[in-house]
Amino acid sequence: MQVKNNMQTNLISVTRGTTLSQLLDLFSSFHSFPVVPVVDDDNILLGIVHIQSFFEIFKPHHHDLLMRNPLSMISREPTNIFDVDIEEGMGLLVIVADIMDTKMVKVEQDEDIKKAYDLMQLHNREAIPVVDKDKKLVGIISVFDVVMKIFKEKGLV
Amino acid sequence: MNFILGISLILLFGVLSGKIAEKIKTPAITAYLVLGIFIGPYAARFVPMSVLNASGIISNFALSIIAFSIGQNFSFSIFKQIGKQVIWISVLAAFGAWVFVVVGMRMIGLPLYVALIFGAISTATAPAALIMVIRQYKAKGKFTDILMGVVAIDDAWGLIVFSVCLAFARKIHFNQAASMAQVIIGSLLQIGLSLVMGGIIGWMFCTFAYHIRNKRDLLIYTIGTIFLTAGLALHFHLSVLLSCMILSAVIVNIHKESFRFFDVLQTIDWPIYLIFFVLAGANLEIEMLKHIGLIGVVYLIARVVGKCIGTYFGAVFSHAGHEVKTYMGIAQMPQAGVALGMALISKSVFPELGSMIFTAVAATTIIYEIIGPFFVKLSLYKTGQIQNQ
Repeated sequence: MQVKNNMQTNLISVTRGTTLSQLLDLFSSFHSFPVVPVVDDDNILLGIVHIQSFFEIFKPHHHDLLMRNPLSMISREPTNIFDVDIEEGMGLLVIVADIMDTKMVKVEQDEDIKKAYDLMQLHNREAIPVVDKDKKLVGIISVFDVVMKIFKEKGLV
Repeated sequence: MNFILGISLILLFGVLSGKIAEKIKTPAITAYLVLGIFIGPYAARFVPMSVLNASGIISNFALSIIAFSIGQNFSFSIFKQIGKQVIWISVLAAFGAWVFVVVGMRMIGLPLYVALIFGAISTATAPAALIMVIRQYKAKGKFTDILMGVVAIDDAWGLIVFSVCLAFARKIHFNQAASMAQVIIGSLLQIGLSLVMGGIIGWMFCTFAYHIRNKRDLLIYTIGTIFLTAGLALHFHLSVLLSCMILSAVIVNIHKESFRFFDVLQTIDWPIYLIFFVLAGANLEIEMLKHIGLIGVVYLIARVVGKCIGTYFGAVFSHAGHEVKTYMGIAQMPQAGVALGMALISKSVFPELGSMIFTAVAATTIIYEIIGPFFVKLSLYKTGQIQNQ
């Protein structure tokens, strides 16, 4: 049960330079915001954008550094998105590189789906990107893909 | 009152005081500290002696987790991210505060080991007040960015300086017959062994970590390893702080997905910190306040002057602008969590003068927390980071 036989390969990916406006346009008709891989020109995986990434826009520079210090306490509070300072032009000024999550959990395509499932459980992720040996993006696997695989095997689907 | 009832009161009053602090826009640490004073043995006496006597163990618990979390800053990618200016300024500001406070304390006649400890404690800066001001006034700009970097990283330098000074202070105080050479060699040996032990445990931790498959085991494995390191350090009279910091510094540099160990800690560490800070407040001996007047004043002034002069030279060496040279020093005034932690350790290590060190640091922390935000605001205003205020 390799990951490559059970992943989604029909992908929408973005680059570091994709603007916030382009990103929002791209997914405005989706039910919810998906996990979006960020790649470079050679399709090497650099990070991901997920719904939490948008909150980065409202945080001060180096905020992630302070998160490493448990005594900065206040930094753990959730952002109050109803009272944020959004200026005109931010849609063009903010790019994916500013908000993407590089604390990346990924899986190689030749691994077993059990490993992919364990990783998703370990990191509370619903989906993670799949790469080949050269770290190039080849797909995305989600908890739903794993569930489907099991249901198919049991003859439910 | 029994131990469990005491802890429950600390936790529940802690939640309440945190909420009040939020309303009056004060950092949570200050609220916990003040709560500790109110419910401590010198006021309402809600904290039973059994809990108060456990302060030493609880501080070691909390500080080993704090040192482990702060140690993750020592990665190559972080140094690249924060940049040359932040490193220069944070190192020299810490050094400046240390020098001025040590000299100041010697001038008013305190023994060398106490002066060294005060100097080390003065290096830390609290980020909570700064973040509050930035949020409240929506400050932004280059100056704010550098300042955030400085306060984020300087607790790491502070813990190193403190660990080294503590090693020296211990040798000076407890081996009074020892020559200077013996003091230096003994202290360096203790520091070196702490680093080696933390490093070896870190390497072993990463080797076995690949077998951890679920969150429950991950949390237990991480906490277990932190306590193993802290426990062994205590057993062999090494530095708990240094060995826990080097443990995470090794992990963050050799494990590909090391963030998982730090993220998982955040699910359980909060109550430990809360108890730690309330107990810090409860340990404050109000009676002693009247005896520390001069020490407190010298500490308050020398620390700020040292930070300002250190920052100035840091800005000169890293070619930062005029605004950084002039205003970044005073913005580093707030002092809280890490400083209190260091002071609590000092209290447990030095039975005679430890209480005086702790009380002076706790009292000045409250003063800095009250006046600090004003100076942070002033520096951000003067440098144009806050508009129309």
